[in-house]
Formats: sequence, C-alpha cells, structure tokens
Amino acid sequence: MRKAVLIALTILATVVTALIAAPPFKTSMTLSEAASMMTRTAVIVSVLFVWAIAAIVVTLMSGREIRYSSIEVRTSPLHCFALGLVAVTSFVLTAILFSYLIPYVVGIPLLIALAVFAILTKIYGTIAVFHAVGAIVAGTRSRDDLAKRRWLRGDLALVVIGVLLLGAIRLIPVVGVIAWGVASVFGIGTALATKFGRREPWFLVFRPVSD
Amino acid sequence: MNEACQRYAEDPEGNAAHLAECAKCREMYATLDAPIESQPVRVEALPVAAWEGAGYRSWPLVVGGALALAAVALGLCAVAGISPLAALRAGANFDWRGLLQMGAQAVKPLGPIGFSALFIAVNTVLFLLLRRPPRGIDA
Repeated sequence: MRKAVLIALTILATVVTALIAAPPFKTSMTLSEAASMMTRTAVIVSVLFVWAIAAIVVTLMSGREIRYSSIEVRTSPLHCFALGLVAVTSFVLTAILFSYLIPYVVGIPLLIALAVFAILTKIYGTIAVFHAVGAIVAGTRSRDDLAKRRWLRGDLALVVIGVLLLGAIRLIPVVGVIAWGVASVFGIGTALATKFGRREPWFLVFRPVSD
Repeated sequence: MNEACQRYAEDPEGNAAHLAECAKCREMYATLDAPIESQPVRVEALPVAAWEGAGYRSWPLVVGGALALAAVALGLCAVAGISPLAALRAGANFDWRGLLQMGAQAVKPLGPIGFSALFIAVNTVLFLLLRRPPRGIDA
C-alpha cells in the first residue's frame, strides 16, 4: 500500500512538473524561457543534492535526536506548526529590532547570532521533516515487514526517502515553494519543541521551597 | 491499622490467631496471597517502536540516492550551461537585507509603541508554546 502511495506520489510530482514545464495548452516556448527554466531546475536539483548530503551527515551524527524530532512532528503536528509560525515571526521581529541597533555596533553581532541560530534551526528541522515524511511514506508497521526489508529501513533510509520525495515536490513550480515553506515551518517548530531532539525543557522551573 | 494488626504484620506466625479476629486483615492478606494471573508478553502483538531497526544503515539506498541526485544535478547543469558551483551559489543566494527592509516597512505603520507591543505579544506566545513539554515518545 505504502509502496503504491510512494510510487504514485513520485509519478504525480513528475507529471505535474512535466505539465507545468511543457503545458499542452501552450504551443510554443521561447528559447530564453526554456533556458531559464532549465537553469532554475539545475539550481534546485543542485541545492537538493547539498540537502541530501547535509541530511545524511546530520543523521549519521545524531540519528536519535532527528528521530525524536520526527516523532514529535508526527504526534503533535499542530503544535509544531503553530510554534514554527510564531518562531518565524519572532525571528523577523527580533531581526528588525536588532537592525535598529546597527548604528550602535552591537546590532551586527546580535544579527549574526540570530541568523546563525535561525539557519541551524531551519536545517535541523527540515532534516527532521525529511525523516518524518520518509517514516510516513515508507515506515514499517509490523516486525515481519521490518524483518523482510533489506534496504528500506533505518533512519538514514527514511531521511533519504524524505529528501527525494520533498525534492520531487520542490521541482513543481509554485506548489514546490509553498510545500517547502510549510515544511520549513514544521521543521522550525519541531526543532524548537524538542530542543533539537534533546527533549529537555527550555526554561527551568523552580519548585517552591517547602518546609 | 491497630497494634494487633501491626504485630501480625511483623510476626505473622507468632500472631496467627489475629487473622480470625480481624476481618480487615483477613481480606487484605487474602488479596495479597491470591495467585497472580500473568500472561507472557507477546512482543509480536505490540506495535513497532520507533527505535526498532532505526540504527540500520542502508548504504546502497543512501549512496544510490545521493549519486542519482548528483548525476541529475550535473546533467542539468551541463544542459543549462552553468557550473555546479555557480548553481549552488545561485541556490544559496538569499536577500536577507531585502527581507529585513520589507519587514521593517510592514511594521512601520505600527509605530514604536505598536511594534513593542507586537514584539512582546509574539515572544510571550513563543515562550508559552516552548513551555509545553514534547509529547513524542510518550504519546
């Protein structure tokens, strides 16, 4: 069933891409338009390759953390999405606030620190979303199924499946950008909700002193 | 629990007569002595945990997927007539300043007080959302 869904999704993404790239209702395309689209596709696939390498390296380094964040995004998707949206808004507002401090020099290091944190959160979170997508599409539901599989199991395989699937969707004009934007929001949400997979509280709670 | 009950708890054999007198202890010890009906856990019947098989490294799929992507990227770059590095540079290009200026323009009508209120409100919501412990493996 899931194999069928996986194949159907890939075919669908390819068909939609082909239809948009060479729509049957548009009889001709200028050479410059075709060249521009080819360049855009080359750029997207090149960036996807970098994403794949980053996802493999991060999963090899901290597979458990990625798995915990992936579980979180699957069990609490609404919370992760809300947290992601609020976090992105907070990043933008904080960046605007820091940009007011640029004349006082201190704004520049603060802006750099915020940018580094935001980029790391996005990268980690998006890789967790790759894992989640891979687990939804190609995850095992029974031990028999798990034992039968030779290749399609383990965190690394799920992450690669997620990269390839989301990558195929990314190739679709307009829809791909929106899908990746939503995936990034989910990713930022789950990265922050699980404190980068460490599942530790962000804020310490001091218990009242009892006699 | 009275003193007699306490004595029975400490030395059941020496105070065996207590059980005949005290209904509460009789009931309690009857419950404690009842055989426990235990069934062996059927592992196969349990759902697969997320960590099961997670450490497996499926190198053929990983290497194959990465090489396929690399091949497609190189092919497309060759057809488009750009170098892979130039493609990566173009992909990584992001207009931070433009985004920042756009954001600053968007919040300008709010004024300093409105911006401060918005900033505090958004970060308060963020703080409240971050306080919720992750569910994940406990769900």
